[in-house]
Amino acid sequence: MVGNWQPDFEQLVDEHQTMVFSLALRMSGDHMLAEEIAQDVFLELDRNLRRIESPEHATHWLRRVAMSRSADALRRRRARCAHLWVEIEEGHGAQPEERISPLGARLERLLATLSEAQRAVLVLRYQEDLTPEEIAAALDAPLATVKSNLQRGLKLLRAKAEAQLKEYVRGV
Amino acid sequence: MSVEFNEFELELKAELERHPAPPGLKSKILQRQRLEHEQRRHARAAWWQKLAASVLLVAMAGGTWIWRNAEERRKGEAARQQVLTALRITNHALDVMNAQLQERNRESQ
Repeated sequence: MVGNWQPDFEQLVDEHQTMVFSLALRMSGDHMLAEEIAQDVFLELDRNLRRIESPEHATHWLRRVAMSRSADALRRRRARCAHLWVEIEEGHGAQPEERISPLGARLERLLATLSEAQRAVLVLRYQEDLTPEEIAAALDAPLATVKSNLQRGLKLLRAKAEAQLKEYVRGV
Repeated sequence: MSVEFNEFELELKAELERHPAPPGLKSKILQRQRLEHEQRRHARAAWWQKLAASVLLVAMAGGTWIWRNAEERRKGEAARQQVLTALRITNHALDVMNAQLQERNRESQ
């Protein structure tokens, strides 16, 4: 069945644009940049379409390339000007047309304050619902590193959330 | 701690839903794909043109070299034939002179 599967670029864009854009947006924190990254990822998919063997392979490939392109874009932007981080934190995920809850917006802002590695594992874990093993494969990182980043990131995010969001403080 | 963490994780999972892609994203991707295909086609055509021009140049240079070689050989052969003809004429003239000298010798004796 896998052998008979023929990738249809337009269909793949339809199916995965939300995932790719979301990953890029949560990693970059910049709507315009995320759109640019998503376009680049799909163009790269078009160039490598012959190598894609199955729908699962396409999903895995897109996730992996979206994360790596986002990391590249962040690195390039950091190299250009360090002060942009402030803009990311201020503008992260805050798009007026999107329906996002105040709690969600604050969580997104807190997520943006984590390190790139911690943010990557948390996004893949909680947005994409991946297991640590799948995250390790997507990021091409050792499983132990993924688990450690996941644990530390979650702990840090929770501590920040506790400090800022009263919803998470129990018994107060 | 783990119960609190689980609750927090559930909350996080609920809040970190995928953002919807911007409305024009697909059309922008397809437009860029078309553009890239067009550029690739042009690049491929330019590559073939360069290759054809190179092949033509090599063929012309090779043809010229072969023609010049043949021409030189032809000229060399013509020169050789001229020398041989000159030698034949000289040889003939010498034979005639020799015969005349022998004739005179006989007459003087």
